Amino acid sequence: MELQLALALPVHNSVKGFDLNDGGIESKEPVASRLWSYGGSLESKKCLKNKRSSEEAFGKMGGGVPQIFPLMVWSGQPNEEDDRKGQNRKTSSIVNKNEVEENHVVGWPPIKSWMKKQLHQQQQQQHHQAGRVKNDGVAERSGGRNSLYVKVKMEGVAIARKIDLRLFHSYQALTNTLISMFDKEQKFDKNGVNYTLTYQDKEGDWLLAGDVPWQTFIESVQRLGILRNGG
Amino acid sequence: MKMMMGSSFPEEVLEHVFSFIERDKDRNAISTVCQSWYEIERWSRRRVFVGNCYAVSPAILIKRFPDVRCLELKGKPHFADFNLVPEGWGAYVAPWIAAASSAYPWLEEIRLKRMVIPDDSLELISKSFKNFKVLVLSSCEGFSTEGLAAIAANCRNLRELDLRESEVEDLNQSSGHWLSHFPDNYTSLVSLNIACLNSDVSFTALERLVGRCPNLRTLRLNRAVPLDRLAILLRRAPQLVELGTGEASDLRPDVLSNLSGAFSRLTSLNLSYAATIQSSDLIKLVSQCQNLQKLWVLDYIEDLGLEALAASCKDLRELRVFPSEPFGVEPNVLLTEQGLVSVSEGCPKLHSVLYFCRQMSNDALRTIARNRPNMTRFRLCIIEPRTPDYLTLESLDMGFGAIVEHCKDLRRLSLSGLLTDRVFEYIGTYGKKLEMLSVAFAGDSDLGLHHILSGCENLRKLEIRDCPFGDKALLANAAKLETMRSLWMSSCSVSFGACKLLGQKMPMLNVEVIDERGPPDSRPESCPVEKLYIYRTVSGPRLDMPGFVWTKDEDSALGLS
Repeated sequence: MELQLALALPVHNSVKGFDLNDGGIESKEPVASRLWSYGGSLESKKCLKNKRSSEEAFGKMGGGVPQIFPLMVWSGQPNEEDDRKGQNRKTSSIVNKNEVEENHVVGWPPIKSWMKKQLHQQQQQQHHQAGRVKNDGVAERSGGRNSLYVKVKMEGVAIARKIDLRLFHSYQALTNTLISMFDKEQKFDKNGVNYTLTYQDKEGDWLLAGDVPWQTFIESVQRLGILRNGG
Repeated sequence: MKMMMGSSFPEEVLEHVFSFIERDKDRNAISTVCQSWYEIERWSRRRVFVGNCYAVSPAILIKRFPDVRCLELKGKPHFADFNLVPEGWGAYVAPWIAAASSAYPWLEEIRLKRMVIPDDSLELISKSFKNFKVLVLSSCEGFSTEGLAAIAANCRNLRELDLRESEVEDLNQSSGHWLSHFPDNYTSLVSLNIACLNSDVSFTALERLVGRCPNLRTLRLNRAVPLDRLAILLRRAPQLVELGTGEASDLRPDVLSNLSGAFSRLTSLNLSYAATIQSSDLIKLVSQCQNLQKLWVLDYIEDLGLEALAASCKDLRELRVFPSEPFGVEPNVLLTEQGLVSVSEGCPKLHSVLYFCRQMSNDALRTIARNRPNMTRFRLCIIEPRTPDYLTLESLDMGFGAIVEHCKDLRRLSLSGLLTDRVFEYIGTYGKKLEMLSVAFAGDSDLGLHHILSGCENLRKLEIRDCPFGDKALLANAAKLETMRSLWMSSCSVSFGACKLLGQKMPMLNVEVIDERGPPDSRPESCPVEKLYIYRTVSGPRLDMPGFVWTKDEDSALGLS
């Protein structure tokens, strides 16, 4: 039996509809299911051993009861990206809740597991040595004996920076560095806009920087904020 | 017709001529000239590359090439790196090593990628091949430091031990750290890569090893070796040209200045482990590496650092920027498309890029394409799936279209961001040299897949996830699949029925359905499969499949001839 397996369409034809029957494989032929076998003995344990959230998506495999599955598989879990973009998803992606990172798609972004582990480990190490951990898993305040990194957020600037407070011994030194760090962001108008340095302490309160001695400040600061004064 | 050529030159002469021909493609061509050339060629082929370990069996390989010295095998599909291939899928190298141990006593080099290799196989390697020189285990697993100890102890002529990104189990050996198993009179080490090891490294053993190996050129160490100790090693081995380090939190000015001389000689730098170096230190560091050709770094380098890179490293050929917080929703660093644009402008030899970022624009992609028409590998990962051009909110079809249009030698491409079927039309039209394509969360319909399969003449590997591609394009381009090494599709819309059909009609393909929900024939044929992996093979369906992989029966394969 000669099978016509030539390509269905010439390369240049970019017309939307192409006919499956035009030289490709006929999909309507019945194929006996005994042509298919699975590797090894059916060990249901093996099947389920590495299950990801396919179980969540499709329900447990009851013994022998055939289940009706729609052609387009939908995980039934609204995807966060969808809601934000309001796009029409045509396929699902399987969300694995068992992974370290919640609400993320399996294998995305495409980072090798060892690298994920590395980054996770190194960030954990920083957590253990100092400070508390925010929900997203990133420490506000972190570092070892020789460093004390805190986040600095300037009002109106999207990206927060991190700064090692152990490099300074006075408020003056700190503010000087902050000025040069955020130099690009400052939109100096003709009147000259002033900025106020604030910090969040261990209790979570936001205070004006400069009121307490530097040493006390260092021990309790969790993060810094730079506020614009009315201009 | 009898070829006169075969009898006019003695075999030895032909063999000598053939010894200058190294590329597989060329040797394959030679072997088709006539029977005697085929014979001479196969006896003299020393280097074999098997891109898919299931495409051929050890027996078939040994039968055709009886005297191989360098063997390279690849196992699992690429997406196994991202946990998309369940554990136990396969790619076991033990049968290959067992066969090679008796068939190839003069084997010198083994290179494996994404394969499972047990300690027993490592021990067998160390004892079977007297002239063993090179062991590269890339993204492999299944072995421990015990196996490494055997290699160290027995491979007298070992030149290269490279464990790049493999998973190694650390077993506390009473016999001492595995590195100390290298005998005192062992001096032939040229390259050592143990960056992936989680365990501590015996610094004394390492220092002694480095000290007595005058030809050591490449050293990649793991996190356990801090930077100041690295300085000691560098003084012992000033001839090093490739260096990678783990923990670099001690990058103080005095340490840096001690190392500056060494840095300027470096051609390759891997800082993708170093999560604690901040941007300013990174800038200082890369600015000293004027001879750098390859840089792997975390996105702490930021746009500013990449600008500095572009200004200092005019010989740069490969750049990989990895995300420090891949799962964070908001950007934590100032790394945008601008960094990549700067490097594309400043580094004329840049041809290989892997770049993770959170925003991109068609403009930037067009600029990069025009700057670097010599690009051969371009992998862009915009972290959030389906992210549009942040300036225009349009799809990134045009931008990637510009890449494939201008970069005529592009061999590898990874797409991301918001993409419609259009981008695949561009790729099919312009991507004539494209060999590997990775697609995720893209496209609108089967037409997208059809463009790729019908347009990309040199396509060897195609991997797709979470795209609305189904049966139509696949079945219409079934013949194409026999010209490719492999096709991976997961979370798409290919039905079990289509898989069965393909498997039945294409005897030279193994169509493997990976489905952890249970037997696919317990569901309607129209039901899409979770994952499918299709590859061409001359050795039929494999016999080592786990319970969650389904393929055609052996019987049916025999019935179709």
